Amino acid sequence: MLTRRYFMRASAIAVAGMGAAPSWLVRAAAPGESTRNKILIAIFQRGAADGLNVVVPHFEKRYYELRPTIAIPAPGKNNGAIDLDGRFALHPSLQPLKPLWDSGQLGIVHACGSPDGNRSHFEAQDSMESGTPGRTTEDGWLNRALPPLTAETSSVRAVAIGAKMPRTMRGDRGAIAVSDLQQFRVRNDAATSILESMYAKADAPLMAAQGKRTFDALKTIESINRTPYTPAVGAQYFGEFGTGLRQIARLIKAGVGVEAAFAEIGGWDHHSNENGQLPPLLTQFGNSLAAFARDMGDRMEDIVLVTMSEFGRTAAEDGNNGTDHGHGNVMFVLGGPVRGGRMFGHWPGLESEQLFERRDLAVTTDFRSVLGELVHQHLGQKTEQVFPGFSIGEPLGLLKT
Amino acid sequence: MTRLLGIALVAGAISVPAYSADRFDQKLTPDKQILHTINRLTFGARPGDLAEVRRLGVEKWIDLQLHPERIPENPELAARLKQLTTLQLATWQILEKYQQAPLMIRPVQPLAGLTSLQVCKLMQGGTVDERRSVIDSLSSDRRQQFLAFGPTQALDGLADIQQEAAAARQADQQARQAEFRRLMPPLMDLLTSEQIRVARNGTDAEKLALFDSLDAEKRQKVIRSLGPQMLVNLPNLRRESMVVGQPQVYVNSELVDNKLFRALYSNHQLEEVLVDFWMNHFNVFNGKGQERVLLTSFERDAIRPNVLGHFRDLLLATARHPAMLFYLDNWQSQVQRDDIRPPAGSFNGTPLNRPGLNENYGREILELHTLGVDGGYTQQDVIAVARAFTGWTVYDLQRYAEFQFNPATHDRKEKIVLGHTLPPGRGEQDGLEVIDILARHPSTAKFISKKLAQRFVADAPPASLVDRMAATFTKTDGDIRAVLQTMFSSPEFLSEGAWRAKLKSPLEMAVSAVRALNADVTDTFALSQRIADLGQPLYGKVEPTGYPTTGEAWASSAGLIGRIDFATALSGGGIPGIRVDMSRFNFKAPAAVASDLLGAAPTPATLTAIEKGIQEKEATPSMLATLVISSPDFQSR
Repeated sequence: MLTRRYFMRASAIAVAGMGAAPSWLVRAAAPGESTRNKILIAIFQRGAADGLNVVVPHFEKRYYELRPTIAIPAPGKNNGAIDLDGRFALHPSLQPLKPLWDSGQLGIVHACGSPDGNRSHFEAQDSMESGTPGRTTEDGWLNRALPPLTAETSSVRAVAIGAKMPRTMRGDRGAIAVSDLQQFRVRNDAATSILESMYAKADAPLMAAQGKRTFDALKTIESINRTPYTPAVGAQYFGEFGTGLRQIARLIKAGVGVEAAFAEIGGWDHHSNENGQLPPLLTQFGNSLAAFARDMGDRMEDIVLVTMSEFGRTAAEDGNNGTDHGHGNVMFVLGGPVRGGRMFGHWPGLESEQLFERRDLAVTTDFRSVLGELVHQHLGQKTEQVFPGFSIGEPLGLLKT
Repeated sequence: MTRLLGIALVAGAISVPAYSADRFDQKLTPDKQILHTINRLTFGARPGDLAEVRRLGVEKWIDLQLHPERIPENPELAARLKQLTTLQLATWQILEKYQQAPLMIRPVQPLAGLTSLQVCKLMQGGTVDERRSVIDSLSSDRRQQFLAFGPTQALDGLADIQQEAAAARQADQQARQAEFRRLMPPLMDLLTSEQIRVARNGTDAEKLALFDSLDAEKRQKVIRSLGPQMLVNLPNLRRESMVVGQPQVYVNSELVDNKLFRALYSNHQLEEVLVDFWMNHFNVFNGKGQERVLLTSFERDAIRPNVLGHFRDLLLATARHPAMLFYLDNWQSQVQRDDIRPPAGSFNGTPLNRPGLNENYGREILELHTLGVDGGYTQQDVIAVARAFTGWTVYDLQRYAEFQFNPATHDRKEKIVLGHTLPPGRGEQDGLEVIDILARHPSTAKFISKKLAQRFVADAPPASLVDRMAATFTKTDGDIRAVLQTMFSSPEFLSEGAWRAKLKSPLEMAVSAVRALNADVTDTFALSQRIADLGQPLYGKVEPTGYPTTGEAWASSAGLIGRIDFATALSGGGIPGIRVDMSRFNFKAPAAVASDLLGAAPTPATLTAIEKGIQEKEATPSMLATLVISSPDFQSR
């Protein structure tokens, strides 16, 4: 996994200390030359996406009874959902994901979530991102899922798209937050090289290590920015979320050792006028995921992307053509290694007594079962270390063995 | 072979034998002692502070800081705090004055006016005819409400009424949208397009002129529509916007102002550092429910008066305060009653369960506030402590938010806490006794001493020091001032092992930079946002653990880039509300600028890098200040 070039690059920068790395070192990170490592990408839908309208249980009469106004019409009807397996269907705005389902790259887990019945956005997001519902931990599950830092670890091994470090990536395994690759620089070019030299020779190991990783990342991204990026033919990214995925794609293709990535998309908290707001959001969501898959091409063999949201929404609609905070939700698992084209998990039903607290879709699969299986099978990490206190039980069979 | 060489090169470059964390027995030189003391007991030296400490002598100065009542306060502080009127208000006054106005003002009661028999028919299996006759019996207003909001299963089999219901829902939707638009009109309903351009993109002077030209009502609506972010540079207008649009956020923003102004200007620096320390130790998150309006009193009444007093008093004050009772859910904790049905309704979207014990506070008071996670308590202790605190609740959270002991919800059975038996049949006394037990427990003495040593000495303080501090804690029954005295007079405190051993938190870094530059701060909004962006939103830590006390946690999440950008913005005069005057650095060499800002000569690594690097470039005071503030020397304390 670690090439000789990484050693030379890391050590040369530490020794040289001043100024930018010699150009031959930068070229060492040209695409295709580095080894292809496995990559796990986490996507967070902030605001509690309405899983029941995203992946519609159209075989359930109850679904239409509970949502007389906002239910998505069944497949075949006008603006109807896109049938997947005779029972579940995609919201029509997710049309771009259908080919991925058909080609077996997309799997869907319904009725999953956290055992914690908390319906507060902040707390539930925090709990899901930390991966330890019910316990306080400082770091996030995806950070823990990475091997500890060594001197050779890439400075861009874990990238979160956004201005702030998300909880999911927080920790000591070397993640960085980038809102825009082009903007990832110190706003003071003159100062950069001086500070790099200053930190390289700093007394305190903590300072020197932090400095090294930071300036390394700056240089890596600077060298990536020098080559304009053209996505693969047919990959058209959409909106802010799409731009985020595009940057992840660019980083991965640059072969700089990305192992984990994170992006988020907000705006899902549809307490009213849900069917006015959901289509454009899902269009952006579906288009961007499909564009990413297309852009990565056969590199998707090494990539698994998983989506999640802090909780689902009420089974019944509220009085404002929307839904309130709920419980069980849907997760997408996308990538070459995925045993796609099928639904996973266990559908609990929508009858009153089958609902959680008689109002929400129940959770029959813990989100950690999904993430844990991916962390274990795809990244090769022990789940007890990533999700302490949680035992996975029966595997879902999300990935090809 | 080349692989080994690679490792050796890397290892050689990073570790420098001169630095060692094990030199706690090496005393600092007198000059270093002065700077070190200031760096630890304050939020950073201002010009003149070093001279002041030198004049008094380190020991005397520390003693003075331990007795803030003897220090005259900075008049510049009072001037800035004057406008923060909420700081003096009692919680009930804040609640009264700063209520979040609900937007949807139309009450929805679809089942109003129906007898329970009729409700039963509608909800639980009345026939189609029965249900139709109930619905037809409603007056036309009630019928509208019922059809728009009522339970949909009541309309099973009533196709014509279902259609009517769909129409009713739509009509109501439109009415709500119109109402919403009337209450919160978008800018284009209020202003001409030229006025909108000015409001969004005009200069500050143009914006002020525009607002002055509007009548009071329209002005308020425009300000509300624009929101505080668009008015960052116009503090008065921004405040107005917040008061109208987000009154509770406004209340908390005054508390943030208070914190930053005090850190920047107060002469009672140690007291302010301790308020920050204890607020963090007894963390409360401002985003939960109504916490924003409870925090003002929490800091002012529970924390601040007790920071140098006895730990037991501090612990009790926090245990009784509505902010803590609400944050850690103890206000809902009740004696387990299996004979009661679950109540209907919800709070904040979370349905109310059958009333019962909530262990959250019981666990956190043991794990985070007193004994510490390794302090030797069991799950049984957690439950017993939680049971002891049942009945400690809040009276009328929406209007008064005062502590109340409710005997009806208190668990009166016997409890055993850490080996102490609490006899049955008592009330509030149970909780009070637990406070005593926890405050006096030997693990508490150790845990608190270690945390203080982490803040003031080093990330991994020597065990011998922690032990001595714990001994003082026990001997003086938790006198915080005495424990601090033991720490500050210890050889470990003024040792090489402690010198520059702490990485500054974003708050410490930002405030110390402003103080070092002696900048004039009139508005702290932009500063607080930058500190939040660096990972430390003030009062905004979700978890009860509070912000980390060790450098490693900040090093990984803060982001050196963010700190360098902050230094650049500050030195360049680019942070609204902060005015810097760099003239005192004119014509000064890098070494002189660095010594001025650092309070000591810069390290060779820092100085060499700066001197070599600026050889051909323009070395403006701003550039030099940026480099010094960004340096490892300044980023540590």
